[in-house]
Amino acid sequence: MNVTRTNKSEAPAPDAAPDPKAVEAIGRALEAHYSALVQAPLPDKFVELLARLEVGTPVSDPQRRRDALG
Amino acid sequence: MPSASFKDELLAEIRNLRAFAISLSGSVTLADDLVQESLLRAWSNSEKFQPGTSLRAWLFTILRNIYYSNYRKRAREVQDSDGFYARRLTVPGDQESHLDLEDFRQALTLLPPEQREVLTLIGASGLSYEEAAVICEVGIGTIKSRLSRARSKLVELLALDEASDAPPPERKVRRAG
Repeated sequence: MNVTRTNKSEAPAPDAAPDPKAVEAIGRALEAHYSALVQAPLPDKFVELLARLEVGTPVSDPQRRRDALG
Repeated sequence: MPSASFKDELLAEIRNLRAFAISLSGSVTLADDLVQESLLRAWSNSEKFQPGTSLRAWLFTILRNIYYSNYRKRAREVQDSDGFYARRLTVPGDQESHLDLEDFRQALTLLPPEQREVLTLIGASGLSYEEAAVICEVGIGTIKSRLSRARSKLVELLALDEASDAPPPERKVRRAG
């Protein structure tokens, strides 16, 4: 028997495959879930942060600031 | 000093970066700190980014590293007190899928984080298997098997493996364990 090790990454995962329709439903739900997150209102602070970085204003680390505030 | 175009490219990725952060941490509060820290790190390490490669994948790698080294423990504490993000975000009502989005999100939180992140990277963020493998620091085979396990687990949690002929009744997420 030829037991040459084939590239496993080429083969689909061996788990029992769920119903393709169910997988499709999950794919759609996942996209809906994620696109809602992508479209959620974005706080201004990120745009402001990049603007401050661009002009060279020192910016404090959020974790440190949080700790300092207690 | 990074170029103005680098800044614009970062700006264009913020929404996706934040969506990944929320999916990963399960908390909007933590996600916003994560995004902020990732942007700072990306800015100060901009020379390490290789033009022509995926900026999204690079940013996700940075964010994921920060999450697993500093935030994961905090995430567990915050999730309990803070409530799950699904209840804190307004969700546009364009749900074409049969699945109730709220049920789906609940099921998603029951997955182990390494499965949830692979599902998010490949199924939603538009990254390739190769990019996901680099981000998660595992082989492509592992990515594929995590993806497959994540899907099977969701099918089970959402009871999609039953009565697939009938129109879907009101579904409840099965209690885990």
